[in-house]
Amino acid sequence: MNRYETLFVLKPTLTDEETTAQITKITDVLHKQNAELLATDLMGMRKLAYTVEKQNRGYYTVLYYKTHGSTIAEIERNLRINEEVIKFLTIKFDNTKEIKQFNKIVDSITQKSKHIPAPIETKPIQESESIETKPIQESESIETKPIQESESNENIEATEETKIVQEINTEAQTVESPIEA
Amino acid sequence: MIDRKKFKKRYCKYCEAKIDYVDYKDLNQLKFSLSERFKIMPRRLTGNCKRHQESVTIAIKRARQTALIPYIVDRKNVVDSPFEMIR
Repeated sequence: MNRYETLFVLKPTLTDEETTAQITKITDVLHKQNAELLATDLMGMRKLAYTVEKQNRGYYTVLYYKTHGSTIAEIERNLRINEEVIKFLTIKFDNTKEIKQFNKIVDSITQKSKHIPAPIETKPIQESESIETKPIQESESIETKPIQESESNENIEATEETKIVQEINTEAQTVESPIEA
Repeated sequence: MIDRKKFKKRYCKYCEAKIDYVDYKDLNQLKFSLSERFKIMPRRLTGNCKRHQESVTIAIKRARQTALIPYIVDRKNVVDSPFEMIR
């Protein structure tokens, strides 16, 4: 059993119900091939970098699963037939390093999915779940750190720009004010 | 720009961040190795180590295939602020 990841892009013209239907259709193909679906990551609607089949946007979803290599051809055939799928890409995780990364991604997604529906679905068993979710929050915070740093850098740049703009404005005001007086 | 970079001591940012595997979906990781026109920056300018440069090129090419990053940015296909789409 090898580890695979499949990313596919659905057309933006579909409604929310239709997109979920298409995703379930593709996951059903995986189940038929006895693939072990570990995680699904809904990246959501994104702007495409270039037009594909006259579309400028697309709904990205990623599936993480385990199968034998022979079943990949069948899965890709189904994706190719489906007219709602604009693009797809399957990647095999081969080395020990890649497998480590694969497990990390799957863990992060499962923890996120646990984290969101926990308060809605299972209210009576809050005590046990709260204990479970504590370490999850810590790990998430560690993972998201580098991204936050980069964002903060951008924010700093943005704030600097705004500062400059403000300075210019204040200068303009100081220049204008004596004329008015 | 090149003259200024000559005097800086270059180091691999991916080694510093301890990234084992460069994921093609995480565009913040790829952003550093891309030029304004979304070309892959050479190692002599970025200072990436060879191992990471190889993994980054693969990741960038995969991101291009899945329309996360454009192949080219030319006069017909101008992006107003090139890194706006990467967030």
